Amino acid sequence: MKRFASLVLAAAIAVAMSACGNGSDSATSTQSAASTGSAPSTTASSGSSLPVLSPDNPVELSIWITTSQQAPSADNKLTKMLKDKLGVTLNYEIITPDNQDQKIGVMLAGGEYPDIIGSTDQNARLVTGGAYIPLDDYLKPEAAGALYEHVKPYWNKIAYDGGQGKHIYQIPNYNRFYGDIVGGVNYSASGFWIQKAVLADQGYPDLSNMTIEKYFKMLEDYKNKYPKIDGQDTIAFEILCAQGREWGLTNPPEYLAGAPNNGGVIVDENNVAAVFADKDVAKRYYKYLNEMNAKGMVDKESFTQTLDQYLAKLATGRVLGMYDQRWSYGNAHDALVAANKVERTYVATMPTFDGKAPYYADRDVMNINQGVGVSVSCKKPEVAIAFINTMMNEDWQKILAWGVEGEDYQKGADGKFTRNEQQRANSTDLIWRSSNRLMALTDIMPKHNGTYSDGNAYSPEDQPEEFFATLKQYDQDFLTKYNKKTWRDFNNQPPENPVYYPAWNIALPDGSDAQMADKQLKDTALQFLPKAIMASPDKFESIWSEYTTAIGKINVKSYEDAINAGIQDRIKNWATK
Amino acid sequence: MRAKTLALPKNRRNIWGTIISQRELIIMSVPLLLYKILFSYVPITGWTMAFQNFKPAIRNTFDQQWVGFDNFVKLFTGINGERFIRDIRNTLAQSILTLVVGYLGAIVLSLLLNEVKNIGFKSIIQNITYMPHFLSWIIVAGLVSSALALPSSGGIVNIVLMKLHIINEPVQFLSNPDYFWGVVAGSHLWKELGWNTIIYLAAMTAIDPALYEAAEIDGANRYHKMWNVTLPSIKPTIVILLIMSIGWILEAGFEIQYFLGNGLVIEKAETIDIFVLNYGIKMGNYSLATVAGIFKTGVSIILIAGANFIAGRLGEEKLI
Amino acid sequence: MKIGKKNLSAENVIFTTLNSTFLILLSVAMIYPMLNTLAISFNEGMDTVRGGIYLWPRIFSLQNYRVVFHMDTIYGAFMISVLKTIVIVITNLFFTSMLAYALSRREFIFRKSITVLFVMTMYFNAGLIPNYMLIRDLHMINTFTVYWLPNIISAFNLIVIRTYIRSIPESFIESAKIDGAREFRIFLQIILPLCVPTLATIALFVAVGSWNSWFDTFLYNSAKQSLSTLQYELQKLLASAMNAGNTSAGVGAAAAQSGAGNVTTPQSIRAAITIVVAVPILLVYPFLQRYFVNGLALGGVKG
Repeated sequence: MKRFASLVLAAAIAVAMSACGNGSDSATSTQSAASTGSAPSTTASSGSSLPVLSPDNPVELSIWITTSQQAPSADNKLTKMLKDKLGVTLNYEIITPDNQDQKIGVMLAGGEYPDIIGSTDQNARLVTGGAYIPLDDYLKPEAAGALYEHVKPYWNKIAYDGGQGKHIYQIPNYNRFYGDIVGGVNYSASGFWIQKAVLADQGYPDLSNMTIEKYFKMLEDYKNKYPKIDGQDTIAFEILCAQGREWGLTNPPEYLAGAPNNGGVIVDENNVAAVFADKDVAKRYYKYLNEMNAKGMVDKESFTQTLDQYLAKLATGRVLGMYDQRWSYGNAHDALVAANKVERTYVATMPTFDGKAPYYADRDVMNINQGVGVSVSCKKPEVAIAFINTMMNEDWQKILAWGVEGEDYQKGADGKFTRNEQQRANSTDLIWRSSNRLMALTDIMPKHNGTYSDGNAYSPEDQPEEFFATLKQYDQDFLTKYNKKTWRDFNNQPPENPVYYPAWNIALPDGSDAQMADKQLKDTALQFLPKAIMASPDKFESIWSEYTTAIGKINVKSYEDAINAGIQDRIKNWATK
Repeated sequence: MRAKTLALPKNRRNIWGTIISQRELIIMSVPLLLYKILFSYVPITGWTMAFQNFKPAIRNTFDQQWVGFDNFVKLFTGINGERFIRDIRNTLAQSILTLVVGYLGAIVLSLLLNEVKNIGFKSIIQNITYMPHFLSWIIVAGLVSSALALPSSGGIVNIVLMKLHIINEPVQFLSNPDYFWGVVAGSHLWKELGWNTIIYLAAMTAIDPALYEAAEIDGANRYHKMWNVTLPSIKPTIVILLIMSIGWILEAGFEIQYFLGNGLVIEKAETIDIFVLNYGIKMGNYSLATVAGIFKTGVSIILIAGANFIAGRLGEEKLI
Repeated sequence: MKIGKKNLSAENVIFTTLNSTFLILLSVAMIYPMLNTLAISFNEGMDTVRGGIYLWPRIFSLQNYRVVFHMDTIYGAFMISVLKTIVIVITNLFFTSMLAYALSRREFIFRKSITVLFVMTMYFNAGLIPNYMLIRDLHMINTFTVYWLPNIISAFNLIVIRTYIRSIPESFIESAKIDGAREFRIFLQIILPLCVPTLATIALFVAVGSWNSWFDTFLYNSAKQSLSTLQYELQKLLASAMNAGNTSAGVGAAAAQSGAGNVTTPQSIRAAITIVVAVPILLVYPFLQRYFVNGLALGGVKG
């Protein structure tokens, strides 16, 4: 019965593909269902051009998106534009990130998919589960030209072997850069954040050669001086450990060791990865947090609060510092700005141990384990690809990232895009956005990061003019005091990324020992570290040894081996970009 | 109280005759049985996954790799085994505590409500206590987490306890593993207490007033009446509910533990269902999830059959 | 004798006072979190994070509700939720009580076996994936049918209704039979009307369950916007409120120039969502309430 269904499916794909040949003598072969276990080579519908999307020939595409953005409302002006200009109607299936893993598990078992699937960090799972078709045949200059341009320099990186040879299944959605990278004004990643008010109160101290001791000293001094902020108790340091954001607890040691973000491992100069969770560098950090907790510096609710409680706490302005990534607490930042508490917003500091050079900021990397692909259930894959390809055109990219010219932004005489106050306010308004932007679609589509051919930045957030125009007076003064122009200037200068970087997106196959060990390591950390931090200092050692004993029982080697194999594989295949 | 059992057709030879004479009852019930078999029993064929190294990309179930009892061994031994057994303990503890607290609470509250003579007052109290039942568990979990927070975060429980000088320092309900089972039981109690009284109050209305009058003549006071008349009268209801619940002993709920569980309390918080979600479907470990499901079913069926049997032996109400 | 009565009434007063006090305190504990949520839902989001909102909003605002009700999907989802609940309640009550009637007939020869087969289903579940496969093979993915068809009988309610029917004097049925009524007519015209109290109670059981469920939408119908339910839509909204600060580029610095008033926080959105979800089902309750006390009885068989 199931075999029959897969045959029907295969036949349907074959028919669809030959039907799309547009008269060209395409030799179609099907991406036959994986049930045979053999790996049929996918011969190309060679030289076929993609269908032209036009309102005369309306099409509907179902699209699955993992995002916390809302689906557009029915009156959305860009939805109308897609229909009027391209004849495309999208049927959204929006899955929030916390539900994604489970839904994909069910979907793979069911074997029926929407036309287009855009997921985060699930590429490997979808490919090995047989959800995606290889796109190689379409990624040709004469077919999906824009997408071809997009992936050409990174072919080896993006291609993935899901048991049927290396193919491109999914187009990454971020950080494939074009032109100059001008987005160097904001910083969206990791740091030990500190309130600007704390620094101002202490006379704008030098932030270079930061250590964890210096960082906490600043927090402590300020807290002693101002035990209450706006009538509420001052909280010196907040640890982020909410569901789905547990990296707030587990990642800092690698940064303190002067290593960049490689997930659960530190990679040495010989490109050998090792888990650091139970090593001295980790112990030193958590022991320090334990001491700080004993001094009342760590929020007692750090480990019990939910994400919205954490964000609400930051938004009160009484939290002096925390380790987090900038994008992750954006909601609290916006709330502080809106409440005119700019001095309570944060800048990043980058402490390290033993005078190591900080490596918090890295060169933006493309996450090859996420993005958008076309499913095996798609009846007209060429239409789906034509759509994604069309969205890659600069005109559409501008519409997705900036909006409509004259409505959502203006083009100055110098060709630069600018926005006025109202337009900026609109862009953060949930209500306005659902009628005027396609946030969910934009989130998952491949992007023209960097600059457009006319010199404008990919999105308003990256546009330097926008940055300076929206800078509050307090922030201008603050930057002047530090003799810096942008927030990014507070970071380390990121060196060229190692070839394999980053190890955190090396995919561990479903059901493998490595995947199991990875999960167990994370769970063990979550079980013991909060206890170790909150314990009275004399108990720290015994909890720590319980922790390392527990880690000792995990098959850590399988995890390290998988990561090291991934690193070696990348070094071999990625050496030439 | 119940109608006497009617004489059953004992004569086996007449079975076809019986079927024909009962054809209307058969038409009313057997299609529904077939329906239930389709929706509840047929999917059990999916349990074959427990004996396979199930890979979703392989569409034909017979092409899957068969691994015998490997998945059972994987779940019950080694580091997963330790964790699974810990989670069985947590599930049992949480659900037994919830059960005991919930039962006693509901019975006591219904006895107290039964003593209220002012109908208007009684009805107001009842309606208010029913209200939490209408909220979904996700919402309740959110309410519990904010109610139990520290006073500085608006945790009302701590605020009240400190105002009443019952405690001097705020209690960290959500970060002490020893409190977690209590938090789970308390949350259930808050949500379902009022609602659970409905069934007992219903049973109490059926009590013959003559029984109370007789007790009064014998000089029974209020408490004697509760103990000697009211409680025995609702005993059949209590027993049946208890038997039913025993079969659900491995269902300790999900949302509250998922939402309130955190690293500090995980050793007491994690239940079988959460383990199965995180290590099963989410990681593509279909077989593992199935093994856990089979285990739970096995335990439930044994417990319910046992409880039913014992109840019968003790001369109490039986479920079936 | 006289003295005894006096003592009794003094004792009575004490008991009644204590009992009433306890019940009032209990009710306060039950209702406070809900009133607090109501207050927060009407309070300005940024002000809420300062804490100290108890029973009344400090800075009144409708912005939280504006955000919730701007989502145009919510109206369709509301209708689907209502429709789904109505259909489940009707089908479930009808089929469950019909079966309960058959199983209440003590002479019915399949009584025992059918009861066992149904009761068993309370205690096992084939699991997420096998159930999903069945629904898929029945072509019920992305259909309205999937909301109600798998749920037309619940074993627990079956037992409740069966118990109730058994408490109906046998003579009602006997006399109908003598009048030549068929079983189905007896069920429809005699038993069903007598069962109204218990059915009202069970209707509420079923309605609450259906109204509050979101997992069936997530699992089976997430691809079809027109079949989405209120609970599921609101859950997605909450996720997006939590991340509202993250613009698509992952950098939100240029954000929030808008000034207070337009800013909502996850906490306040959550409160508004809670109210929006809870109010409709709370409104149903008063209509069914009067049946409550005599509607429910639970019994088994004497061993």
